[in-house]
Amino acid sequence: MEQFSFMRLSKVVLVITILYLGWSCASPKAEDVIVTQDDYFSAVDKVTQIMIHDIFSPPVASRIYVYPNIASYEIMALQNKSYNSLVGQVEGLTAIPAPRDINVNTQLSALIAHMEVSKTLIFSEDKLEQFRDSLYGVWASKNETQFEASQAYALEVASHMKVWIDKDNYSQTRTMPKFNVDASVASRWQPTPPAYMDGIEPHWNKIRTLSIDSASQFKPKSHPKFALDKGSDFHNELMEVYNVTNNITAEGDDSEEIEIAQFWDCNPYVSVTRGHFMFATKKITPGAHWIGITKIASQKANLSFDETIYAFTKTSIGIFDAFISCWDEKYRSNLIRPETLINQHIDEKWKPILQTPPFPEYTSGHSVVSGSASTVLTSIFGDNFQFDDDTEVAFGLPIRSFESFNKAAEEAAISRLYGGIHYMAAINDGLLQGRNVGKWVTNSLKMKN
Amino acid sequence: MNKLVYKYSGLFCLLMLLVNCEKNNNQRFQIEKPINSGLDFSNTLKDTIGQNILDYLYYYNGGGVAIGDINNDGLSDVFFVSNQNKNKLYLNKGNLKFEDISETAQIEGKSTWNTGVSMADINGDGFLDIYVCAVVGTNGFIGHNELFINNGDNTFAERSGAYGLDFTNYSSKATFFDYDLDGDLDMYLLNHAIHTQESYGKSNIRANRNDLSGDKLLRNDGNRFTDVSEAAGIFGGPNGYGLDVSVSDFNNDGFPDLYISNDFHEDDYYYLNNGDGTFKENLKGAFGHVSKFSMGNDVADINNDGYADIISLDMLPEDEMVLKSSAGDDNVQLQKLRTETFGYHYQYSRNMLQINGPGHRFTETALLSGIAATDWSWSALIADYNNDGHQDLFISNGIPKRPNDLDYINYISDSQISKKLSTTNFIDKEALNLMPAGQLKNYYFEGEKGIRFNPVSDFADHQASFSTGAAYGDLDNDGDLDLIVNNINQSAFLYNNQTAQTNFCAVALRYTDKNLFGIGTKVTLYLGEKELVRELFPQRGFQSSSDPRLHFGLGKNSTIDSLKILWPDKTEQIIISPEANTFLTISYEGEASKSISKNLKDASTDLVFVREDSLLNTPIVHVENDYTDFNRHKLLHYKLSDRGPALAIGDIDNNGLDDIYLGSSKNQQDQLYLQTQDGFNKVKDSLFNTIAINESVSAQIADVNNDGHKDIIIGHGGGEFFGSSEVLNNTILKLNATLKSTQLSNDFEDTAVIKTADFDNDGDTDLFVGNATRSNDFGFIPESYILVNDGGSFSKQSLGELGMVRDAIWTDFNGDEALDLIVVGEWMQPSFLVQDDERFKDVSSDYGINALNGLWRCISSFDIDNDGDEDYVLGNWGENSKFQASPDAPMLMYYADFDNNSKTETIIATKKDNQYYPLDGLDRLSNQLSTFFKKKYNSYKDFAGQTIEQVLGKDHIESAKLFKVHTLQSGYLINDNGSYRFMPFEENLQVAPINSMTKVESKKGKGLLLAGNYKGVIPYHGKLGGFKGALILDSNTIIVGDELGLDFYDKVINQLGVIKINNKDYLIAVVHNGTVQFYEIK
Repeated sequence: MEQFSFMRLSKVVLVITILYLGWSCASPKAEDVIVTQDDYFSAVDKVTQIMIHDIFSPPVASRIYVYPNIASYEIMALQNKSYNSLVGQVEGLTAIPAPRDINVNTQLSALIAHMEVSKTLIFSEDKLEQFRDSLYGVWASKNETQFEASQAYALEVASHMKVWIDKDNYSQTRTMPKFNVDASVASRWQPTPPAYMDGIEPHWNKIRTLSIDSASQFKPKSHPKFALDKGSDFHNELMEVYNVTNNITAEGDDSEEIEIAQFWDCNPYVSVTRGHFMFATKKITPGAHWIGITKIASQKANLSFDETIYAFTKTSIGIFDAFISCWDEKYRSNLIRPETLINQHIDEKWKPILQTPPFPEYTSGHSVVSGSASTVLTSIFGDNFQFDDDTEVAFGLPIRSFESFNKAAEEAAISRLYGGIHYMAAINDGLLQGRNVGKWVTNSLKMKN
Repeated sequence: MNKLVYKYSGLFCLLMLLVNCEKNNNQRFQIEKPINSGLDFSNTLKDTIGQNILDYLYYYNGGGVAIGDINNDGLSDVFFVSNQNKNKLYLNKGNLKFEDISETAQIEGKSTWNTGVSMADINGDGFLDIYVCAVVGTNGFIGHNELFINNGDNTFAERSGAYGLDFTNYSSKATFFDYDLDGDLDMYLLNHAIHTQESYGKSNIRANRNDLSGDKLLRNDGNRFTDVSEAAGIFGGPNGYGLDVSVSDFNNDGFPDLYISNDFHEDDYYYLNNGDGTFKENLKGAFGHVSKFSMGNDVADINNDGYADIISLDMLPEDEMVLKSSAGDDNVQLQKLRTETFGYHYQYSRNMLQINGPGHRFTETALLSGIAATDWSWSALIADYNNDGHQDLFISNGIPKRPNDLDYINYISDSQISKKLSTTNFIDKEALNLMPAGQLKNYYFEGEKGIRFNPVSDFADHQASFSTGAAYGDLDNDGDLDLIVNNINQSAFLYNNQTAQTNFCAVALRYTDKNLFGIGTKVTLYLGEKELVRELFPQRGFQSSSDPRLHFGLGKNSTIDSLKILWPDKTEQIIISPEANTFLTISYEGEASKSISKNLKDASTDLVFVREDSLLNTPIVHVENDYTDFNRHKLLHYKLSDRGPALAIGDIDNNGLDDIYLGSSKNQQDQLYLQTQDGFNKVKDSLFNTIAINESVSAQIADVNNDGHKDIIIGHGGGEFFGSSEVLNNTILKLNATLKSTQLSNDFEDTAVIKTADFDNDGDTDLFVGNATRSNDFGFIPESYILVNDGGSFSKQSLGELGMVRDAIWTDFNGDEALDLIVVGEWMQPSFLVQDDERFKDVSSDYGINALNGLWRCISSFDIDNDGDEDYVLGNWGENSKFQASPDAPMLMYYADFDNNSKTETIIATKKDNQYYPLDGLDRLSNQLSTFFKKKYNSYKDFAGQTIEQVLGKDHIESAKLFKVHTLQSGYLINDNGSYRFMPFEENLQVAPINSMTKVESKKGKGLLLAGNYKGVIPYHGKLGGFKGALILDSNTIIVGDELGLDFYDKVINQLGVIKINNKDYLIAVVHNGTVQFYEIK
């Protein structure tokens, strides 16, 4: 009985389709809408641009990257048998509906779903709509039937995804308490100059992880015991920040270390005051930088559209879980930044080369994320994958070349010491923590057959 | 003939009035066109390298104005500072016609960048000299401060070098006064730092002298000035962003003191003159808080009480569009860091009106007074412009570019522009164009009796402008004060005062040879009951200097009782019945009339309360635990966790002497002091440790189980507990050999008050339990109830959801000999609950209580009109915060789960220009409701000007629970034959919340003592600490402030009580987070 009705329905669909095809054959020939990896890059780049405008902190940005990629991936994997769905592999995800309309162009749907999911996550929807609608115009004029079917399907998947996304505790964490500043505890993080912003995302460890089993799965070892006695490990590391940055500063703006620090700054909101002027220089986040590297690698390796989605999805999962792991430690140890301690105890006028970002010190976010992203990328593209990193050119920074993702990650990590915003332990332990997350993501996710 | 003239002149006057009506639309001032007046000066700015807002922080500060009669022809002349171009001097030719004599006078100046100007007779030759400040030593700015000595023939000679006043630093103003009372004029030089503020250094860096930016005190050693700053105790640190200085004898000791306004996070400085050539800085001791981005200031006695008050300007916008797109106050954690870790004082970004009094501690009232928000403000000039006997206020304002525009700060998304801004030296036109301009109309307020000001928006037919320096003087000698305002890129304004035909008194002084103009003289004008006081310190107004002629408005009085002149040498001269409506010149009469004045006011010696700290061996201290409600409830405006501690006085140990119970905050121990004949013994009991987690908010001492021993009934609450937290439950403490605690109720609510009474007359103690709200669900209204005592066991009689209860009294308000209940609280009206056959019913409206919601905090019965029946005195929030409410425009609070995340929020709206707007800005709202608001508003501009309906959406407005407040005034319900009418107190009782009251009997008779203040608000409201206590004897006799002998200033008094010790009455005042005070009641 069920089968019968299904067959009847199929017949109806078939008839309509034949009729429709007949009609469309009569009109000027309708070609397939072809979307390429470049379209995918543009969609991701658009989200990056909007994120810069809207000002999302690094952890939140990682969330905005990952879900649209997963939506695209699930559509793609349903069609492309070389890939496995993430259902059962990431927490709570259920199978997306299969397309019922044979006019659905799955690659087109994957791209549309990416934009639709992105739209729910960013603030300036109008900016994404503008971008989307101009593409829609092109696609509709090319093959309206295929476009509409693909769009309808993409929207269905997007709303399916939304139900899952909404359960990740993001909205609950919005209303959780702010970080409690208590300057009477000497080791405790406190807001830093010049904007003295609140500690951001103190509850990010409550966000649902995707691959790792808990925020604390790769809890790093403790940082050197807080102590301001000369000769203590902690004090040595504090002095290391002070001395290294002073030496670099003495070398001048052209020193390689300053170039490295600035290249990997990746601070979405640097507050600048000049005289009475205040403004923010806004850049991409550490996650966005690695998403940019993913694009560079995908291009260099000539990945197909489907392979591109795979690469972005896997890398962004690595980044997403890395932030949860890192933030779990940050608000566990709540460690004070070098800038605060140096101003208090060593040099009232000292300023770091980079602006200290508004959250606790240990472990270094960029180190963890770079560790994880580079490990995942190595698993996709192989080790010793040389690339020229032009991600920061838009922000007036040069191109840097790397022999491998791991080398790039190591440089990103050490850049935080040069920038004067992290102690060495946060860099070393952070890189290790990130690589552990990356290995786990690589080994536990069976995405490619 | 005489008659005829009179007749005709009458007609003429009438005609003139008609003409005036037509021409001026009855505006207070008429702007005189430059083409008519000849005052064709404009401070024109041209951006160049080094001279632009990026390279020089104070590029838009404009130039000063000075008014003074430089040729002694009886007509006041005008000097303008041009920042980049030549300074100008205009000779007054009469009838508001001026002649530009700048070139021949040789005062045009040689510095690159000029700022302020002062006129003073520095060499004592009877002619006003001119001192012009300059910024030198940065950005290629050259020159030096210039001293133009008046040659007496309309020409000047620059002699700064000879006088030792040719400073090459970052000056903005100089003020001349005789600080050491040696008869000549000394100088305070105000300098400003010019570096960008990035991090807060410790506040004590102000002690490190910096020659370029530090202020200086110069002693006149006979036409040669010596820098005595360091020895005199004047700060000259690298972070002194001095924007104005005023001189006044603030503490009425005969020595001139100083108030310095500092921009940014540096505190203002308040220097009291020690009388020995040194000063003591005492800002923290005398001010609860000050303006943050302090700009111009002015000092004058505003409320005619004989004490000089201070206005200090800031940049809080009035306009809703600007307000919501501009950066505002710090958040509460940053405030804490800045005050506690870095050592700065409490500063808020708004104008401040600091009202001085007998204790020389200032109560800040700008919000109450209606002058807190005048946007980007430079000059404040207090004077009686309408001659009605009350001081008025003119404020100049405007900024060519608003650097604190939030969209500009956050969304100049063009990275090229921000890159250019951060790397290039020359200001990019494109980047500047993106920044909104702040072209504004100047403000004018007219004062009334007391401390309120009424804005007069249509006071002149003038354009929006960038107005900076300003000065006043009677330029046409018609008996009212005219104003001159220096504008950027626009002709200066001459505001011709149209007040004519009112009564005035103008006084010019002739003192001794080195100070002929009598700088520092204080003149008191006696007018019936009124005493109007003026001090002659002409340097006032931002970078400016006003006419050294004192001006008094006389209102309807055409005669003056007398004038008292207190000369700088403290000799006094009295002139009986001087002629009004003339220009008096009063000369010092020298030794002949010398009589040392007793004018110097002291605090009253007739104190009602005398501090007695030795009653206990160690002081009782209340410690509030460190908890920031706003971290958890980001939309709260005031804390819920700081209502304690409870105070109860009674005989616990049955020895006939009253004991003291003091509750505690979370994790602190309650305290019990037993009174013996020899003093108090503190009870040490481990139970206090066991129950320390409780927050004890309200307590009563009564015998609840009829065993002949009194118990302590404790109401627990506090904002830190929620859900079924045991510590919320109320308890009974019994003292036998040891203390025992038993549970009173099992309601898990935040109890605010417990009140005992035997309402059913059955011989035992019944209890009213009033609950406030739920800490994780502010806006939720729990049940309040009565626990009916029946032989030691309680049964509950619910009173329903009364509101966010804070206080209650058992009282027989209907005179039927049965106790009724009046309950007060926040966002509710006083509830009159009548007892009818042992049940209670809300009959408020039958007793005249309608639309009387307040943020009520306490209630007491008191026969305030001495008519033999009980009236009810009510403590409210007061009118000195950003909250605004009136019966016609109640403050609203919407309560709902706006973003459907199973957590409720409350959003407050107040009315402004006939529309309701959210009180919070976008950042605060999206702190709690991030996606809800950030998706809806992509920029601050989109959000600014949105009404509460637009912000929340119609559906939410309709479905949310709505709370209202109709009045924030404290006052009393007067009993008119059984019906009650609310009578608000005068403004001096509205300066802060009133938290507690107690009846006292003193030598003044029966009275009700009121105490209050509150600091648990977000920095947007500031700090409500200026209430010094008040003793009400009757509705017409209320003694306020320091005269009582109470030390309540800037302290939060949460409980008052009276205890008998050695048969004398003592007052106990519980200071929240401070030391409990004891006073003997005289």
